Amino acid sequence: MTPASRERLGTKLGKLDRPGTVVWLLLAPTLLYLAAFAIFPLFYSLRLSFTDLTAAAGTGDWVGLRNYGDLLRDPHFWNATKNSAVMVSASLAIQVVLGVALAMFFNLQLRGAWLVRGILVLPMLITPIVVGVMWRALLNPDWGLINWCIAAVGLEPPNWFGSIEMAMPTLILVESWQWTPFVFIIVYARLQALPQEVFEAAIVDGAKPLATFRFVTLPLLMPAIIFAAVFRAVDSFRSFDLIFGLSYGGPARSTTTLSFFSFQNGFQWQNYGYAAAVSYMMLLILAVGTIVLLRFVQIRPGYAK
Amino acid sequence: MKRKIGRAFAYLVLIMLGLAGIAPIVYLGVLSTKKRIEILAQVPPTLDFKWARITKNYNEVLFSQGMLEFTVNSIIVVGATTVLVLVIATPAAYAFSRFRFRGNENLAFTILSMRFMPPVAIAIPLFLMMQWVGTHDSYLGLILPYIAFSLPLVVWIMIGFFDEIPQEIDDAAIMDGCTRFEVLWRVMLPMVRPGLVTASLFGAIFIWNEFLVALYVIDSREFQTIALGAATLVSAQRPIDWNIAAAVGVVTVVPILIFSLFVQRYIVRGLTAGAVK
Repeated sequence: MTPASRERLGTKLGKLDRPGTVVWLLLAPTLLYLAAFAIFPLFYSLRLSFTDLTAAAGTGDWVGLRNYGDLLRDPHFWNATKNSAVMVSASLAIQVVLGVALAMFFNLQLRGAWLVRGILVLPMLITPIVVGVMWRALLNPDWGLINWCIAAVGLEPPNWFGSIEMAMPTLILVESWQWTPFVFIIVYARLQALPQEVFEAAIVDGAKPLATFRFVTLPLLMPAIIFAAVFRAVDSFRSFDLIFGLSYGGPARSTTTLSFFSFQNGFQWQNYGYAAAVSYMMLLILAVGTIVLLRFVQIRPGYAK
Repeated sequence: MKRKIGRAFAYLVLIMLGLAGIAPIVYLGVLSTKKRIEILAQVPPTLDFKWARITKNYNEVLFSQGMLEFTVNSIIVVGATTVLVLVIATPAAYAFSRFRFRGNENLAFTILSMRFMPPVAIAIPLFLMMQWVGTHDSYLGLILPYIAFSLPLVVWIMIGFFDEIPQEIDDAAIMDGCTRFEVLWRVMLPMVRPGLVTASLFGAIFIWNEFLVALYVIDSREFQTIALGAATLVSAQRPIDWNIAAAVGVVTVVPILIFSLFVQRYIVRGLTAGAVK
């Protein structure tokens, strides 16, 4: 190699190491991958939603906005939308309140609390379908453990899965069993990171415990609570595997959420175009939700201060 | 006195919480050791375990129903996906953490928002794509989509870990004549090892539990993953043998629980990544 060409190679390598170049080299694999396997499918899905593609038909024909028109006239779609709204808002309310309460409770630093904290992490790790089966057993009307416990104290156990009125509350109960710990862990971590002097100062100033919680602790915990709430809201909106294992959308579609409705259209009835339209309505809801949310909070590691 | 009662009450609550968390899981385990008829007859189930019955149930599930094979498939898919995701995501997370460039915030936010994408929105297109490229019904047909599913999460977690390492360390290494890639490879990687473990843990659990894409992509039993196997065996659609369903549940869950026992201290780190600063 001549000195000149070596120098040229040197400057070439040097160019690769310039911040402006290096940053895109580092980012390229992730960006290209996501473009191919996340963004492209997303647009493809949009295109599908304008066709009548089914698994049997092979190729779908362009039908314009017909799927969306059908959707807006489909009572099952509105039923699923209502179910999603109920599920997300109820589980969010329950999980945030209980999660914050748990965090305050564990802040008492009882002996052996670490063990219970470890136990409470477990539900989150369990495969949602298995959670569904587990609770179908626990709540079985004939031999389930929880029904037995309720009967043992002399009460009448509710008809958990059998009735249209109870199926959704049951789903919310189970989802809250699995995910309240998530809110708890995040809020508790934030609580542990707060400087103790703030609370001491409040006590010195003669603040009552309830007032301390309301005016000192809660505002300081707010960023963590919002973070946890956002994750929970989106994840319960997206969830369909728990429903798959627990109630399969029934009885009489009383637990069919948008996510499960889209799944059923796509997989069970193999109506790809229609399923894509449903999932695009979900994305629309998510996008609107995100835009509204972004007016209030910023989400990014290190920015959730 | 009042204080003592309060204390006792607090411990009572603590015990109840522990039970609420663990009892359902234990109950599933107990059911998996019973005969079909015993589940209906013994309410609540007794704790007398018969070894012959246990082996019979688990033989049925692991071998006749193929759950052992499915477990092996899941381990292959999860392992390959996790390694590939780390290779792809780590440099990107490093770039987001260290470089100020135009659109950094927006790009990071776009990637992170993909963490929120409903799987039902891209499962069908991914399935059709896998058919085109001919990776349908194979390990690769799962690994390719799964990488996309866990990338945003892993980038997210890794940014948090890189942010914790002071910039001065990079600067010092560059002064010593390292290129950026050498800084990342030789200096940063050893320092973010906890981050790599945390990110793999969460990516792995997610993939272990995933079965929507698998439902579409996998046709033959040979490539079924454990979540898919469990979903087909215990779907709420049809009546089931409860002792077998319980054993399926246990087999599906035990590997995750064992795995997470080893990396316990990373779980909370991963859950709170980004939330607490």
